[in-house]
Amino acid sequence: MHIVNAPSEAVADVNTAAAPFDIEALFRAHYSRVARIIERVVRDRGRSEELAVEVFLKLWRNKNAQHENVEAWLYRVAVRTGIDGLRRQTCRAHYEKVLAWIRPSSAPPNPEQLHSANEEQERVRSILAVMNPRHAQFLLLRSQDFTYDEVAAILNLNPASIGTQLSRAQESFRKEYIKRYGRE
Amino acid sequence: MDGNKLNSPQVNSWVDERMSALNSGENWQPNVQVCFARLQKLRSTTNWIGRRTVLLATAAAAAICLSIMAYPSPKVFARRCIAECAVMWQNLSLSARAQTHLTPENARYAAPDFILKDANDKNIGLSEQKGKVVLVNFWATWCHGCQLEIPWFIEFQKKYEKQGLVVIGISMDDDGWKSVRPWLNEKRVNYPIVIGNQPLADRFGLDGMPLTALVDRDGKIADVHLGVVDKDATEKKIQSLLQEKIRR
Repeated sequence: MHIVNAPSEAVADVNTAAAPFDIEALFRAHYSRVARIIERVVRDRGRSEELAVEVFLKLWRNKNAQHENVEAWLYRVAVRTGIDGLRRQTCRAHYEKVLAWIRPSSAPPNPEQLHSANEEQERVRSILAVMNPRHAQFLLLRSQDFTYDEVAAILNLNPASIGTQLSRAQESFRKEYIKRYGRE
Repeated sequence: MDGNKLNSPQVNSWVDERMSALNSGENWQPNVQVCFARLQKLRSTTNWIGRRTVLLATAAAAAICLSIMAYPSPKVFARRCIAECAVMWQNLSLSARAQTHLTPENARYAAPDFILKDANDKNIGLSEQKGKVVLVNFWATWCHGCQLEIPWFIEFQKKYEKQGLVVIGISMDDDGWKSVRPWLNEKRVNYPIVIGNQPLADRFGLDGMPLTALVDRDGKIADVHLGVVDKDATEKKIQSLLQEKIRR
């Protein structure tokens, strides 16, 4: 599999089946992209870095994942980790809202909160947090410029069915968006 | 919309447009060097946890093996467990039985009489003890429960002899004096010990060891206890019987 935007030489190195598993080479070749995928939904750079490190730690612990299709595994886990992180954030925000009602806080919003105040961004994130995780994975991978073949490799699917499944994911997103925010 | 059909290009572009809101506009570059150092640190911690888990598991397995080796045969081990459980159960049941009172005087029946020889070849008979309270104890040298209560009977004999208590120990050892005599030489028993027989045991209803019967001053059985007696309860029963008067 060839990953767009990944340094091709590094990918070529790690793709050699006979070579021993080199976590450092993989890390240097894919870490930035993995972290960026997570950051797109989590919107917290520090937390995204931590989650991306955890993805590589999982890979290092999981011997079964250390096969020739290791990159697909990495991006699959990265997208899943990002969506899980987003869901946790949404859940926490909900409880914080309830707590704020009980115990109002007078603290001003921090720069991170101000940064994430982009309304459209928040709407998209809220839809991704509630929709079918599989559909959310499709949309995230597509928005990261992965080709259909790459999405199929990452999600372990038949490339022929990607178009249909992506359409379903888009339709699901659109319906949820209109239900929540109306036609805009 | 039919899920098997592709969306219109308008829908696709509409969703893509919304999704593009996730782009922050700046090309953020995470610090790969620092993050790789963090990964290395986590890996070494995980390694250490793994080694510690293996060490703990090995230690636990060794401890289990050693404890099994202390009991060479599982059968022996099981037998010991059962024996311990039986003793525990007996002790528990004792506390409940300790509350039971003596048989009412009008419901008592005559104790089976016997005349047996003690270690000095002297005849010991139950009918000879008329007017006294007699504690008849069936025991054996191999019975652990019996060994537990014999010191209490020695104490009772010493304490209540003058008030009219007689303790008689009836050994049920198969080889008779061959086992009992060395045992007697070792222990200082202050009451007569005789060798029993099966017909006598049957008459007392002996179906387990030890068995202790309390005979009142009229020669009637006031209490029979199978198993290890409760010392305090037995002493109270003896005191109660000693206070009874001869009716005939």
